[in-house]
Amino acid sequence: MNARFDVIVIGAGHNGLAAAEALAKRGKSVCVVEQSDAVGGMACDRLAHLLYNPAPSGVETREIDTVSLSPEGAHVLIRRGEARFTSGKPHPDAAAYQTLYRRLVRYAGLLHQLAEAPPPGLEQGVTSLAGLRELSRLAKLGVGVKRLGKAEMREFLRILLTNAYDLLLDEMPDGPLPGALAADAVRGAFSGPRSPGTVLSLMYRLRHGGGVFLPAGGMGAVAGAYAEGARRAGAEVRCGLGVTRVIVEGDKVAGVLLSDGGRLDASAVLSSVGPMQTMRMAGIAEFDIEAVRRARKLRAKGSTAKLNLRLGGVPEFTGLSAAQVKARLLVAPSVAGVERSFNPAKYGDLPKQPVLEMVLTDGTGPSTLSVIAGHVPETSWTTDRRESFTASVVETIERFAPGFGSLVEEADLLTPEDISAMTGAPGGHWHHAEMGLDQMLTTRPTVGMARYRFGVAGLYLCGASAHPGGDVTGAPGRNSAAQVLADGVA
Amino acid sequence: MGQHDRYDAIIAGAGHNGLTTACYLARAGLKVLVVEKNDWIGGAAVSRSLHEGWTYSNCSYVCSLLRREIVRDLDLPKFGLQVIPYEGGATFTANGDYFAYHSDHDALRREIARHEPRDVDAYDRFSQTVIRQCRFIRPFLLRSAPDPTSFKINDLQELLYLVKRAHGLGPRELAETLRFWTMSIGDFLDEHFENDLIKAHLAGSGIIGTGLGVYSPGTAYVLLHHYMGDVDGAIGAWGFARGGMGAISKALGDCFEAAGGTIFTGSGVERFLVEGGKIIGVALDNGDEYRAPIVASNMDVKRTFLEHTDAKDLPEDFTRAVKRFKIRGSSGKLNIALDALPDFPAAPKGANFLRGDLHASESLAELERAYDDWKEGRWSANPYFDMLIPSQIDPTMAPPGKHMMTVFVQYAPYALEKDGVCSGENWTEEAKKAFAETVFDKIEQVCPDIRSKVVHAEIRTPRDIEREVGLTEGNIFQGELTFDQLLFNRPVPGYANYATPIEGMYLVGSSAHPGGGVMAAPGANAAREILKKLGKGAAVAAEAA
Ligand SMILES: Cc1cc2nc3c(=O)[nH]c(=O)nc-3n(C[C@H](O)[C@H](O)[C@H](O)COP(=O)(O)OP(=O)(O)OC[C@H]3O[C@@H](n4cnc5c(N)ncnc54)[C@H](O)[C@@H]3O)c2cc1C
Ligand SMILES: Cc1cc2nc3c(=O)[nH]c(=O)nc-3n(C[C@H](O)[C@H](O)[C@H](O)COP(=O)(O)OP(=O)(O)OC[C@H]3O[C@@H](n4cnc5c(N)ncnc54)[C@H](O)[C@@H]3O)c2cc1C
Repeated sequence: MNARFDVIVIGAGHNGLAAAEALAKRGKSVCVVEQSDAVGGMACDRLAHLLYNPAPSGVETREIDTVSLSPEGAHVLIRRGEARFTSGKPHPDAAAYQTLYRRLVRYAGLLHQLAEAPPPGLEQGVTSLAGLRELSRLAKLGVGVKRLGKAEMREFLRILLTNAYDLLLDEMPDGPLPGALAADAVRGAFSGPRSPGTVLSLMYRLRHGGGVFLPAGGMGAVAGAYAEGARRAGAEVRCGLGVTRVIVEGDKVAGVLLSDGGRLDASAVLSSVGPMQTMRMAGIAEFDIEAVRRARKLRAKGSTAKLNLRLGGVPEFTGLSAAQVKARLLVAPSVAGVERSFNPAKYGDLPKQPVLEMVLTDGTGPSTLSVIAGHVPETSWTTDRRESFTASVVETIERFAPGFGSLVEEADLLTPEDISAMTGAPGGHWHHAEMGLDQMLTTRPTVGMARYRFGVAGLYLCGASAHPGGDVTGAPGRNSAAQVLADGVA
Repeated sequence: MGQHDRYDAIIAGAGHNGLTTACYLARAGLKVLVVEKNDWIGGAAVSRSLHEGWTYSNCSYVCSLLRREIVRDLDLPKFGLQVIPYEGGATFTANGDYFAYHSDHDALRREIARHEPRDVDAYDRFSQTVIRQCRFIRPFLLRSAPDPTSFKINDLQELLYLVKRAHGLGPRELAETLRFWTMSIGDFLDEHFENDLIKAHLAGSGIIGTGLGVYSPGTAYVLLHHYMGDVDGAIGAWGFARGGMGAISKALGDCFEAAGGTIFTGSGVERFLVEGGKIIGVALDNGDEYRAPIVASNMDVKRTFLEHTDAKDLPEDFTRAVKRFKIRGSSGKLNIALDALPDFPAAPKGANFLRGDLHASESLAELERAYDDWKEGRWSANPYFDMLIPSQIDPTMAPPGKHMMTVFVQYAPYALEKDGVCSGENWTEEAKKAFAETVFDKIEQVCPDIRSKVVHAEIRTPRDIEREVGLTEGNIFQGELTFDQLLFNRPVPGYANYATPIEGMYLVGSSAHPGGGVMAAPGANAAREILKKLGKGAAVAAEAA
């Protein structure tokens, strides 16, 4: 096998694969090196389950409704901006919800262009060509914002930095309807809806129009399509071998060492693992002290667990039709409740009332309920704790679906600790690095490392910890590849 | 006094900001009237004697933010204002130790090293960052905030100034600044320090007066808001106004009267009088009416427009924005007359730091839990306090040998939870007592003999503060200092320049940019805008960059 490539990509998560495809398409020889036996990283059947954005070509998706479950039985059926009760009755806050939702989607669309390119650079002055391009891109956003009209522009600038709790409860009374949006705002994050910045993270999710899509064949099929895209473009994808070191020679990247002792040469290395791990692989001494300090202090406290429940039959939820059971089911009874579920996580404890997102997946057969549970502690998952948490999730579901517990044949719990062990993701964090206001855009993942270039010439970040962040979008991978091409290093 | 009394300008409210505006306008030659609902002036910058021989700074208690340009402009020292710096402070632990914050750099380094050697250099990095951020923000305090949606010359000039300042930072520093402005004080401290106690000591300034926890994004800015002042040019230093915080208001009041101004106390504005979209005067609770083409409200934005202005005189979306403005009560206070100096068994006898700010919250987690209680409508079971004994430095506050203690408490809700319902009505006398007991229990950890020394105590809940000062929900800043309510968003997007939808009517209190604290900046900035409108480009303090 060829031991020299233009580019090595560390990790065949979907972002690594997206980067590989973009580079291979431009004629680069690319090798993706994945430690585990399968491609996809977190985008696999056992973890991620829904898409908020277009799928890669070759994957069929189906838009599904959302049902926000109510402890009182007044479940709310939501499709994008429309809301009514699952019984068919109109929801009293439907109009307020629609106005707010449409506004958020419109604003989110403006932010979308920021996500699809490296973050606005502050490094170049306005005198360079690159600087001018930057400026014109920002100006375009500015024009987009101006086009909103004065009143809307003011509203945009105000809510951009506000928190989900206030934004939602200013418009409607608390309950499962605003609860659903609050849960969407903080899913995967170590924050509650009262935290400033959560409106921005909500808009991050809504920037493709707000639809929720179930991929046919599950997330594994999505990962497969990313891999297929990379291979078709000519990239090589090798599974089962990890990268142990990034070789730096004369202040430049020269290649990587593999876990079997082999070596691959390349003048550019893209890493889809976290900043600190990447620094360790390249040797801490290669980076300036300040950069290392920042990477070490990066906030990436995993707070999301995954529970795959294999069921012996199709569950029945009180008040839901058979079709409605196949929607995205949320347990987020109120905005205050979502905030409350976050409290214990701050002190390393389990939530008393976990917030859940559930879907009967197509991928692993209709009898698996895929459950994402938010606001769990990152570490200290003893056997006891695992069992009691699994039991509390099942109990929570049981409240809406009597008899549910007896259907459960097998429970596969993945805690942040497990996810970190599986994928190497820092803290097992959904986004590899918290999507706080202070770790976004020009400061993502850290100040001075925001444009994919990672300290050593030829070394780049291409995973979720880079701008714009996580979810199965491929954006960090594509943007990183574009930066490599622009820099002409490979 | 009668119907036809006419003035050039009327100020509704004699808080320190209203008085500041009044001083500048009177000095520019206007005939100015200040009307105040209470029998005394000062608002939240007030000294009162509730127990013979003792003087309390009932609300605000320490001074630092007051812009020195304004003090100089208005000759406040000539009118009796004297600010005495205090030095140091400490956080005590339950097991009998403490972290002492010394203003002497070497002593501080030794104390930090005693707790955690690695934090010694971290502290220097921390304070350099904070001072850099203070330097960046200070020039904005005495300028109006630009409206980014406007093409008016003024706004463009202010925007340009902001861009220039930001550009002057350089790319790294600018990114660092953006980050600092958006992060939580907890994360910021975690980034720098190892030791929990040291972090807890420094975190307090990030939550005082706000409905946010130490881990809520935006609290690093709140810390900055408390550090950006100075005493005698020492950035971040705090002091006591001799005679209590009311001395500041008294100096402003005297300055105003010396310039020919009139103050009426004892009857508040019942209604702002509007005709054809223009302000024409005010009607008071006692039935009197006064006329003027310019009226400035020192009340917070909610009280001004939702309580005392006819909704039909306001655009609907403006009223909606005012309703949405977040002004949450989160602080309580105890003012205590003491028979003698209480004993601090943990501290060395006569320790200098006992003359500074004292605390007993040991970790960021403890502070965050205090916030969790508040979110549910309860006062913190284990509250944070900022406690001082000013009479050690300013003997005018208590009889000889006796002392006065001020205890600021975070968190206490405005709407107290009882049987699942949150309401201000639940602050009964009993509830107030129970709240005070919680605070005394906590103080007892530090001064076991405190209860035996109490001669008199004034217990203040957010509800009391609202009732007396008019601060809606008892929010000490006349509105939360979150970024959606700062700069051009404060108090209402599009109305950050002190003007209102009603011609001739202005907002001059802390609801306006740059916000709360005894700073006098909103009052001075508003005066500048008003005088500009009148074509009197008179000099109003503006900070040199
Ligand atoms: C429980 C959970 C549920 C989620 N659900 C959704 C969802 O429904 N929808 C959604 O859009 N997003 C979801 N996400 C988020 C989303 O899955 C991630 O943000 C995204 O998949 C990250 O992709 P990535 O390629 O950047 O990194 P990863 O997927 O983490 O890929 C990194 C890859 O690098 C490999 N690797 C690590 N170290 C080495 C090494 N030394 N050598 C070689 N290879 C290495 C890893 O094995 C892994 O394959 C979820 C996340 C979690 C944790
Ligand atoms: C408990 C507490 C502790 C604080 N501690 C500090 C501190 O140590 N240091 C610091 O710098 N800041 C502190 N602050 C904050 C600071 O005191 C305030 O932000 C500041 O004093 C507000 O000044 P202002 O002039 O804007 O408004 P206010 O002081 O609120 O003035 C408003 C005035 O309007 C009057 N009024 C209300 N309604 C009417 C009406 N209808 N008609 C006429 N008049 C009316 C009120 O009586 C009052 O005099 C504290 C505040 C509180 C409450």
